[in-house]
Amino acid sequence: MERVERPAAPARQGPVRRRRPAAGGTLHAAFVRSPHGHARVTRVDVEAARALPGVHAVYVAADVESLGPVVGALPRDDVHANARPILAADRVRFAGEPVAMVVATSRYVAEDAVRLVEVDYEPLPAVVDPEAALAPGAPQLHDDIPGNSFLRASEEHGDVEGAFARADRVVRKRFHYGRVHALPLEGRAILASWDAGEEELTLWLSSQVPGLARTLMCHPLGLTEKQLRVIAPDVGGGFGLKIQVNPEELLAALASIRLGRPVKWVEDRYEALAASYHAKEVVMDLELAVMADGTFLAMRGRYVGDTGAYASSPFTGLVDPMCAAVLLPGIYRLEAVRWEIDCAFTNKCPTAAYRAVGWSSGQAAREALVDQAARELGIDPVELRLRNTIGDEPQVSPTGCAYDGGSYAASQRLALELVGWDGFRERQAAVRAEGRLLGLGVSPFVEPGGWASAMAKRMGFPFDYLDASSVTVEPDGSVLVTTGLHAHGQGHRTVLAQVVADRLGVAFESVKVVQGDTDRTVYGTGSYGSRSAVVGFGSLARACDEVADKLKRIAAYNLEVAPEDIELVDGKAVVRGAPDRSIEMLMLGYTAYFGAFVGGKRPPDIDPYLTSTRSYDPPETYSNGCCAAIVEVDPETGVVRIDRLAFVDDCGVMLNPTLVEGQLAGASAQGIGAALYEELPYDEDGNFLAGTLLDYLYPTTLEIPPMALAHIETPSTVTEGGVKGAGEGGNVAAPSAIVNAVQDAIAHLGAEVTRTPLTPDRVRALLRG
Amino acid sequence: MSGRILDGETVVRLVVNGEERRAIAEPRLLLSDFLRHELGLTGTHVGCEQGVCGACTVRVDGRPVRSCLLFAVQADGCRVETVEGLAPGEELHPLQRAFQRHHALQCGYCTSGFLLASLDLLEREPDPDEATIRAHLAGNVCRCTGYQTIVAAVVAAAAELRGEARA
Repeated sequence: MERVERPAAPARQGPVRRRRPAAGGTLHAAFVRSPHGHARVTRVDVEAARALPGVHAVYVAADVESLGPVVGALPRDDVHANARPILAADRVRFAGEPVAMVVATSRYVAEDAVRLVEVDYEPLPAVVDPEAALAPGAPQLHDDIPGNSFLRASEEHGDVEGAFARADRVVRKRFHYGRVHALPLEGRAILASWDAGEEELTLWLSSQVPGLARTLMCHPLGLTEKQLRVIAPDVGGGFGLKIQVNPEELLAALASIRLGRPVKWVEDRYEALAASYHAKEVVMDLELAVMADGTFLAMRGRYVGDTGAYASSPFTGLVDPMCAAVLLPGIYRLEAVRWEIDCAFTNKCPTAAYRAVGWSSGQAAREALVDQAARELGIDPVELRLRNTIGDEPQVSPTGCAYDGGSYAASQRLALELVGWDGFRERQAAVRAEGRLLGLGVSPFVEPGGWASAMAKRMGFPFDYLDASSVTVEPDGSVLVTTGLHAHGQGHRTVLAQVVADRLGVAFESVKVVQGDTDRTVYGTGSYGSRSAVVGFGSLARACDEVADKLKRIAAYNLEVAPEDIELVDGKAVVRGAPDRSIEMLMLGYTAYFGAFVGGKRPPDIDPYLTSTRSYDPPETYSNGCCAAIVEVDPETGVVRIDRLAFVDDCGVMLNPTLVEGQLAGASAQGIGAALYEELPYDEDGNFLAGTLLDYLYPTTLEIPPMALAHIETPSTVTEGGVKGAGEGGNVAAPSAIVNAVQDAIAHLGAEVTRTPLTPDRVRALLRG
Repeated sequence: MSGRILDGETVVRLVVNGEERRAIAEPRLLLSDFLRHELGLTGTHVGCEQGVCGACTVRVDGRPVRSCLLFAVQADGCRVETVEGLAPGEELHPLQRAFQRHHALQCGYCTSGFLLASLDLLEREPDPDEATIRAHLAGNVCRCTGYQTIVAAVVAAAAELRGEARA
């Protein structure tokens, strides 16, 4: 069904950066940032900046010690907790790291004052390659973490050595997944407003996680949760970037408390690119033990993540290498698996979650390995995959992932049909004779969904979750829903209202969903990790069932039948089999709230308040599907053009196909960007080389082709309603399909693809050998 | 090191969506900031301030421009069209309606720019093919949708504006 969110809504109300506080006199923040990748800070002189008319405050590290550092850590023995200073004091570790903050009457004046702050730096040797950072003698980033390793871990399942000894062949693949950026079109933004009378702070925050932001931000600010209200209204995209705790946001909040004025900070595009969060860079070495007939035996994988200068909070840069490693088996039948990961500090921007986390990089490396095996064995990759694909039944993967049933082979066949596999090899050979390079790539995947306690722990993050939703039938029978989830483009107001309308048998229009305001909703940790359909459906179904039970009991009491004989349909409570005996929802509501006043009777034995708040902490659930792409590589220019792209998705029971397709297409477009265009390079001194959108290339209408989208519905065997998750699959599978297609187009020339993005210059270099 | 504030203020007069508006601007104030913060027209969004993303697209004297690349004083005396002018009342413009029906916006941040760019295309070329639409909209970026639904919405709106069908 169509979304209720209207184009007029963003135009009239809109994201954080457009909000004006009720109180006047908003001040604006800007930051002095390090131009160096690694340097000692020997002097910071802010006197000239403080003296500039219009400047209300300039803070350096010593002024804001009360905030403490932002600590990136996990409750694991093998993790080295990492403290990031709110402002750099004596050392900067990446280009863009904030050194001082200016608060002034306008952003223009604040930026003038930033230029008046004098900072003396003594450059230090930098390290920008994650493997070099782990090597002996590398420049060290953190005195308390020798060796630059945030975490080193490994797991072995089954007899890996035995399988590799028995194999006819060991296939190897090294793959470097490039550094990319979630880069929502609205950057980070905050307006902090301190009410000294009430001693309450309100933050309008461009966030995916208003509840989590409140929990994580209140203590550094010296506040309790009840003193902090986080409002995340219409947020201009998130994709994982807006989960983190940000020094700049804590500083804006602190400045508002100290100055007694609203303080606003809206990052500019350079700050977004250089100094928010990067993602997904992992260097991977994979091995496959395989028999001559193509039967897979075992896989080994080593994953070196590049976490940047600091571990972000709360999830840290481990979201890439660890999630990649745990999903090493993918959809393949294997006897044994071993993975090891390392997570290196480098003089680059910190990394954090970006849609599909390490599942993107891991998928690209694993599926490139499978294609490599196909070439070495002389078996078509399509056939090799199908031969080793697991069955559709629920099962536990070699790394312990509890797959809840899927369409692992059928989704591949359907994607191949949609992309035009029939006759492709003949077409490929024919055009090759004309000097044209055509290639096909296939990328079957599982997508972990419903990120909560079970999935987080499976992926190596020992957290528990609480995510609630509430359902209240108001006196007039309309329904108010509140949730701790948060939509920033997904369409929760539509789909969650659908769920409630279906469950209570009321009109869609009678349901209102409130989210994104910690004072108006129940608690939750927000939206990310393909969780909202699963968690939202589960929590709402449970809450609706409790409210429905009360409605039925009130109706039964008034109609003098048993509650079991009542059903809720078409906005009424109806006696089953006697459609003329019914009570309208409006009358039921008034009866519950006011009883005799409207001539109704309240049952004596129930709490008449028609409300319920329930949480849902789902078990592991995994969507699956397959992306297939046909590309053409221009041998002269190295430009890759996508000829066809098909995406088959099985996210279990679909609540709203339009919204699911929006997620698939959008995530696939991001995957295409990562595969072909988007890159965040540094030079060897740690200078950042992609500070504008002319350097970091978002794909446009000319790069993203029409996609053939299709669905298979294999209901989850374990979640409420059989719902899985759909937010990330496109960014799991599309990059890999394209990488494999390019490799397929040029493999006969002896060219081996080993990294993303496959920019024209890089492809040209491959073709030249 | 230069920290001098550019002195001086100018009264900037514009005709915005058919209405005369005036406000005071420093010479260095961007048109995008002037529209949003001085005139309160916050429908124009600012995505990059580098002239790349197209989110801040408005029309000045009938031509689509990046409002983040113009100073407000440069637009003095001009006619400016912003997204607020598309649907002054409760009724959405056919393009907006088509964007809603075709799920052509998710977070909505890029939408104002796409609407203005699409309007500009359809006024000059009422029956564009898909390749023309894609070429015309290549100066605007969307991080959410993958574009196909945006192209479909423009096709549908074009048909409605030609009087052929409901978008």
